[in-house]
Amino acid sequence: MQFLLRLSRGIDALNQRVGYLCDYLILIVCFISAGNALMRYTFSYSSNAFLEIQWYLFGAVVLLGASYTLKRNEHVRVDVLYANLSERGRLIVDAVGLLCFMLPVMIFLIYLSLPVFLQSYASGEKSVNTGGLILWPAKLLLPLGFFLLSLQGFSEFIKRCAALMGLIELETKYEKPLQ
Amino acid sequence: MFSHGIMPPLMFAGMICFMVIGFPVAFSLGAVGLFFGLVGILTGHFDALFLQALPLRIYGIISNDLLLAIPFFTFMGALLERCGLAEDLLEGTGQLFGPIPGGLAVAVILVGAVLGAITGTVAASVIAMGVISLPVMMRYGYDMKLTTGVIAASGTITQLIPPSLVLVVLADQLGKSVGDMYLGAIGPSILQVTIFLAYVAVLAILRPNSMPPIPPEARQPFGWPLLRRVLWGMIPSIVLIFLVLGTIFFGLATPTEAGALGAVGAIGLAALHRRLTWNLVRQAMSSTMTLTSMVVFILIGSTVFSLVFQGMDGGRWIEHMLSGLPGGQVGFLIFVNIFIFFLAFFLDFFEIAFIVIPLLAPVAAKLGIDLIWFGVLLCVNMQTSFMHPPFGFALFYLRGIAPPQVKSSDIYWGAVPWVVMQLILVIIVIAWPGSVTYWLDHGPKVDPNSIKIEIPLGGGDAPPPLKF
Repeated sequence: MQFLLRLSRGIDALNQRVGYLCDYLILIVCFISAGNALMRYTFSYSSNAFLEIQWYLFGAVVLLGASYTLKRNEHVRVDVLYANLSERGRLIVDAVGLLCFMLPVMIFLIYLSLPVFLQSYASGEKSVNTGGLILWPAKLLLPLGFFLLSLQGFSEFIKRCAALMGLIELETKYEKPLQ
Repeated sequence: MFSHGIMPPLMFAGMICFMVIGFPVAFSLGAVGLFFGLVGILTGHFDALFLQALPLRIYGIISNDLLLAIPFFTFMGALLERCGLAEDLLEGTGQLFGPIPGGLAVAVILVGAVLGAITGTVAASVIAMGVISLPVMMRYGYDMKLTTGVIAASGTITQLIPPSLVLVVLADQLGKSVGDMYLGAIGPSILQVTIFLAYVAVLAILRPNSMPPIPPEARQPFGWPLLRRVLWGMIPSIVLIFLVLGTIFFGLATPTEAGALGAVGAIGLAALHRRLTWNLVRQAMSSTMTLTSMVVFILIGSTVFSLVFQGMDGGRWIEHMLSGLPGGQVGFLIFVNIFIFFLAFFLDFFEIAFIVIPLLAPVAAKLGIDLIWFGVLLCVNMQTSFMHPPFGFALFYLRGIAPPQVKSSDIYWGAVPWVVMQLILVIIVIAWPGSVTYWLDHGPKVDPNSIKIEIPLGGGDAPPPLKF
């Protein structure tokens, strides 16, 4: 169990780094997109590469940032029952949900999206737009994001089990994300 | 009920069971989709080939230009809500209107509308107004129920008033242009503010003791310094909003680009108010990242669900059930609004938008309902979900920051008249579609979809190829 907890801490640290990276991508994509709009109107200049990089970065924020979002417990829940469960009840719901809901879905999505990426990578597929980017990095985001989420799901599962066994303390209080 | 087989109703019921457990919605939706997909494959109701389309669909979500507006508008709001604009606005406007009975409530409503436009989050508006105005209104003897009610209700105007994120998401789900959606929401936003103001005015006449003017010794002399303070708080933010909305309405930029310009403009605005710090930007980046990922993952989960649901003819089942309602258009709208009103007790806006709206939209279109009208109507309706006790978000946030002498029962009962007013607005919008379409018909005749992004050497702005 101690080994698993160390593994879980390692995964948390990895996804935290990825999450920080995604934070910066937000700022970068704002400036790129605003820059694109300004360039088009002031200099009538537009580049497909810069138009495409916007949604590459958006995809990266969504898919790679999801694992850090999971770590921070910010994926929205329906908390009508959940909020009234005991600490132990919430740990059990999470552990069962991670094992029976999330991990199978993620593994299935990796299974579906990995061949798509490999095919694109092997063929060196490029965007059909003039000056567009190569496509495999965007397609890599799917399996990579789902893989990181699976890792984080596994880490969260370990933590829930350890907390149920009384080995660690875990904050399960859930607050809905602000909106 | 079972004319399209037993699977779609079972799946719908299954979705509710899976979600109510309390595990994050994005993953529960994916799980319910795959679980029923598997059952469907085993019983011969569903073809496994459908699932092969999933990577393509998810790829389509991340390369969707409109959804890219989510981080931009969120970032803009996250910056502005933390840079002290709310404080400036509320204090100044409160002083301006304070000397008349009910003036503080009027200030809260007006500031709520401005804050709603610039920050876009209900939580931010309610918390800011609760922290600043609640103590002031309590000190000057405002009725407690009225105080909490007006603060919570003014916070929810955020949902409807353009440029609202909610309307971007609705436009995406309904397949309409964001510019039209924003134009459509202008009428109901004005109506809502008017109804709220009228209510305060009537109460000020009938029960002046419940909302006394601020006493002379607490007033600042009316004059240039006060006006300047209010204008300094209001004008730069209003200019930013008009720049964002104007570029969309006049077809100068796509909503996504306007959002990006707004985000960069927000950095400038924060700098203008001398409140731009790296810490502020860092926090805004972080909350934008998690919110974006969370929202789009609900969409990914609901894509898994709806692919299987549609594969089992669930869409036809819903359509069959709903198009048979008595009363045609109006019957459908009344049913849908009651349905969403109750659904909103349990589900958030994003869950409703991604799960329920795609099921309802084709039926609405088939009945000849204008989808802009439909979207704005549902948006007005979903505002109430922030307000109804005991789960309403706005009340929850207000409870979180209210001092202990404010009783929870005051917050709950205080919300009731405002929920009633929002429901009246729903009825007005149903009965008078012109409140939405007036601006559409008479607004500038530029379709934001018609903006072409000029590409050197041809190629067009076709979406990226979805070859796999």
